[in-house]
Amino acid sequence: MIRFLLRRAFSTLTVMLVLSVVVYLVFYAAPHDPARLVCGKGCDGVRLAVVRHKLGTDLPLWQQYWQFLHGLLAGRDFDAGTDVTHCSAPCFGYSFQTDQPVLGMITARLPLDASLAVGAAVVWLLLGIGAGVLAALRRGGIGERALTGVTLAGMAMPVFLVGLLLMMVCCGYLQWLPFPSYVPLTQDPLAWASNLALPWLSLALVMAAAYARMTRSALLETLAEDHIRTARAYGLGERRIVLGHALRGALTPVITLLAMDLGGLLGGAQLTESVFGFDGIGRLLVESVNTIDLPVVVGITLFAGFFIVIANAVADLLYALADPRVGLQ
Amino acid sequence: MSKSRAVAAAAGFALLAGLATACGGGAAKGSATAAFDPATCQGGTLTVLAQQGQGKFDPAELYTSGGGKVPTLVFRTLTTRDHTTGGPDGAKVVPDLATDTGEPSQDATVWTYHLKAGLKFEDGTPIRSADVKYGIERSFAPELPGGPPYLRDWLIGGEQYAGPFKGADLPSIETPDDSTVIFRLTKPEGDFPYLATATQFAPVPRAKDTGTDYQKHPISSGPYVVTSNDNGKSMVLERNPYWTRSIDDQRLACPDKIVYTSGLDSAVINQRLAASSGDDARAVSGDTDIDAGILARLNSDAELRSRVTTGYFGATQYLAFNPTVKPFDNPLVRQAISYAVDRQSVINAVGGSAVAKPATTFLPDQPAFGYTPYDYFPSGPSGDPAKAKELLAQAGYPNGLSITLSHATSQTDIGPAVAAAVQEALGKAGITVKLDPSADDDYGTRTQLPSSEPGFFISGWGADWPSGGPFLAPIFDGRQILTAGGNFNSAQLNDPQVNAEIDAANKLTDPAAAQRAWGQLDAELGKQAWTVPLYHPVYKRLVGKDVKNAYVSQWNGVYDLSRISVK
Repeated sequence: MIRFLLRRAFSTLTVMLVLSVVVYLVFYAAPHDPARLVCGKGCDGVRLAVVRHKLGTDLPLWQQYWQFLHGLLAGRDFDAGTDVTHCSAPCFGYSFQTDQPVLGMITARLPLDASLAVGAAVVWLLLGIGAGVLAALRRGGIGERALTGVTLAGMAMPVFLVGLLLMMVCCGYLQWLPFPSYVPLTQDPLAWASNLALPWLSLALVMAAAYARMTRSALLETLAEDHIRTARAYGLGERRIVLGHALRGALTPVITLLAMDLGGLLGGAQLTESVFGFDGIGRLLVESVNTIDLPVVVGITLFAGFFIVIANAVADLLYALADPRVGLQ
Repeated sequence: MSKSRAVAAAAGFALLAGLATACGGGAAKGSATAAFDPATCQGGTLTVLAQQGQGKFDPAELYTSGGGKVPTLVFRTLTTRDHTTGGPDGAKVVPDLATDTGEPSQDATVWTYHLKAGLKFEDGTPIRSADVKYGIERSFAPELPGGPPYLRDWLIGGEQYAGPFKGADLPSIETPDDSTVIFRLTKPEGDFPYLATATQFAPVPRAKDTGTDYQKHPISSGPYVVTSNDNGKSMVLERNPYWTRSIDDQRLACPDKIVYTSGLDSAVINQRLAASSGDDARAVSGDTDIDAGILARLNSDAELRSRVTTGYFGATQYLAFNPTVKPFDNPLVRQAISYAVDRQSVINAVGGSAVAKPATTFLPDQPAFGYTPYDYFPSGPSGDPAKAKELLAQAGYPNGLSITLSHATSQTDIGPAVAAAVQEALGKAGITVKLDPSADDDYGTRTQLPSSEPGFFISGWGADWPSGGPFLAPIFDGRQILTAGGNFNSAQLNDPQVNAEIDAANKLTDPAAAQRAWGQLDAELGKQAWTVPLYHPVYKRLVGKDVKNAYVSQWNGVYDLSRISVK
């Protein structure tokens, strides 16, 4: 177990390092000048040079990257010209375009993306696994065909379309729910849930399809295995066979998928955030790419990468718990 | 413009439009409230729903037209746009902190302003001339970039001045006493009162200046103070206890509180305002025009129609020629293209005649700019390919020619839809158009850098204030060809006579005389076909059902928040 964790920690670090190098290289090679964007119309040479220096883009690439690494491990000071801001380790950088430390910008948005991801995951697991089990048990029936159709349609519908339609019907015409705006859970749990209900549902509708199909095929496969036949021979009830034995085995691939999806969503759900007007990590990333706010782009990429790597490790752990045949190699 | 909105969202948009039409206008309920009365309009919370945030809310860094939509609620400036009307007079400049719009010297190189008596900041301290001087000086600091370039170009010593943070002041701004500010300019500038509407002319108390952090809580001189500011993305403004109507004849400041929410999808903004449920009944659109879905409902839904306001902002979308690239050096080719263009199909490509009107002049069709009607290459609504062919034959292309049209890739007014409309119309005149798309920011860089400027591309221009100067000079003044980038003189025109006429018009301090001069210059330039004007945009915006006295300013095309009531 300890060896597993150590190895995972090492590979996480390597992935992070490679990611940061790649992001730096891509942005340095791109023909953009963030200083000119910040500086505005008719910005001349001297003024432009001062802005470039403030942004740190006047340094050679390796030096910029070295400063970044140094800040990550030991913290660093940022001189805005009128005042100096200290950013303590782990310092992911400082966005001069918004005058905020990058880490703060990300962590301030994390509760939103976590609420979005976890809430939606609960909904899509209920929908997906439920539909998958039903489909497996009623194979070939009209119900199964209808379910397959619905899940396929869900998979084919992009979240921005589902989101807009749900909002128009539930908030615009029927006025059952407020037009979503994020309310923190700690502030008002009821408002939190009612504002997030539509984002959860629209994300879940899109995601549930994959879970339903995966649950169905894995469950059918497991139900055909010897130990299930044996269980049936012992006269166990069908409910106990399906829920107690077959489903447990069938869920391992679902767990992997879930961990990957959650990891991805924690790093930002750009389309969902955009449709519902949430100021989340995904939106921040797109905005920062547009304004060439390099420190923020690097920060979010690392952050998102971190979640995906961690999610993978968690998936492996859960795998081992769900299926004792899988060891932690 | 909203680059970040995924193109994909447009698909959802179109579908919503259809559905909205099918459902009719069931959701919106009529409001039965009393008529608007400035005396009793105070109270309530106004919500502003917007796509774009305010950015850094520092008066030095903001780049506004006429003081902007939200900034004008917090920052009073020496002069301001006329807030009191949605008519053409809204494009006039009126005094704000100052007693008049400025006293020019004989040749308009020295401008003197006197502050009104009794002006106060949000903390009760009096506003002095030194605060105005300091506010302007801050905008020169490279640490606070982003504002308009005019002050640097106009004030003596502005080119070298690097702001007050290193201790130096700018001697060309004089404050002989606490209520007088004098500006000394490098050359005559009759438009100085227009520039004085910019947020850079808002007073900043030196003792409260926190440098780059000032944007988080700038000190108010207007009717509202900033009580919460999430980096300009969402803001809450509440009443400034030291502001009264007796010292401000421009703003009514009816709502007790104004909440600014940005980051919303345009379709969502329109749906929320149309539905008008809960707080949205007291909301207005900050930067979003009605979409096809709402437009389709207007004919059958009188209540919704009553909540749409039409407004104008002086802007022109046009096709730009770069005569250093062949065959655009040939005036006959440029004229042939001018004849061949089908303005109606271009307008259809951007959303139809509800949101754009055809343009044959470069100046916008508002009197403030000096609009002088002309149509030297009359192409009718749908183009005159026969006349175009005739001119091409004269130019030595009897069998037509092949050219390239550059455009941006985003679905905007400089995007593929407009390019395709132009391509089709020119095709009828025997001009084969190859399209050359590039991503938005690359497109901007390419077209604004003379060394990489394409020969023929789609462009647009909106003025910083409603006058002919900022509209024509950046496009046609030979001394404004910026070889290092940021160039809008696409024709790279450097005609001594044009330059001299621009200088002469800049000297005029009488708006009516200046309007005549700019109008005449535009008409002269029009004959040479340096551009093909396509259309002037029209803004149509929606408010919630309990919003009163909402009109769109003809200065900047946005709702005047300082006059709206929600009570």
